[in-house]
Amino acid sequence: MNARPLMRLRFTTAPVEEISLTPHGTLSIFPITGGSFEGERLRGTVLGGADWVTAGADGTRELDLRVTLETDDGALIHMTFTGVRDDANHYFRTLPRFETAAPKYAFLNRLLAVGVGEGHRDGPIHTIEEIL
Amino acid sequence: MNTRLLMTLRVTVAAPQNIAGVPHGTRRTVPITGGDFDGPWLRGSVLPGGSGDWLLLRADGVLELDFRATLRTDDGALISMRSFGLRHGPPEVMEALARGEAVEPAAYYFRTTPRFETSHPKYAFLNRRLAVATGDRRAEGPVYTIHELH
Repeated sequence: MNARPLMRLRFTTAPVEEISLTPHGTLSIFPITGGSFEGERLRGTVLGGADWVTAGADGTRELDLRVTLETDDGALIHMTFTGVRDDANHYFRTLPRFETAAPKYAFLNRLLAVGVGEGHRDGPIHTIEEIL
Repeated sequence: MNTRLLMTLRVTVAAPQNIAGVPHGTRRTVPITGGDFDGPWLRGSVLPGGSGDWLLLRADGVLELDFRATLRTDDGALISMRSFGLRHGPPEVMEALARGEAVEPAAYYFRTTPRFETSHPKYAFLNRRLAVATGDRRAEGPVYTIHELH
């Protein structure tokens, strides 16, 4: 598969909200309070959102994130991803999708992407590439 | 991005059901009648019952794909596959595809992101992996080359 860098995205998070055991697994909600993103074609800040994380019986966590990004020239971008985090196997991968009304960033509406996540104490960092 | 080949998946399709104009675009459902898949760790066939591709042509000309299929491996495991995808390209290329003509896959964007679910221990690794696929729309049905995100 061919890919090219899209952005590096950092989140800051608030204390987790533990919903605990639900019919689908153990649900934890990580509020996202801010952050930043930077790539050759776009950069800006994270306005906020959250990641709904469900841990399954096999220890892997399913991620379901929604955030709003604001570019440095004022465009708003709705970003979502689903993903899998399996720390035992050092696996933290996501499938981001984007929606925007800004013509300059409309290319985001037409691409699929993959992300590699890294856990950090002050919040995760995602390296996101466009699937070519 | 590190990936490795998971499988090549070929599906055969029946005549589409044109739902036509809906609030989000133009909807078309394509029943999947069968197919097969093979790769280094698994091979088998596509079951027709719960398999299909739910297509939505958006106002910006991009086709969204909501593909679902049940796979049966040659040793009897059932695997549920779902993938979201996008297809778009120059108008003349998309028109040739619509007419069922052979088009070089590099002439348009046709990518999907499969997820798998299974209860079979041998294939449980699929539950914990993301994948990306390159599609090739042929007259008899699409062919997907699926790579696991490593």
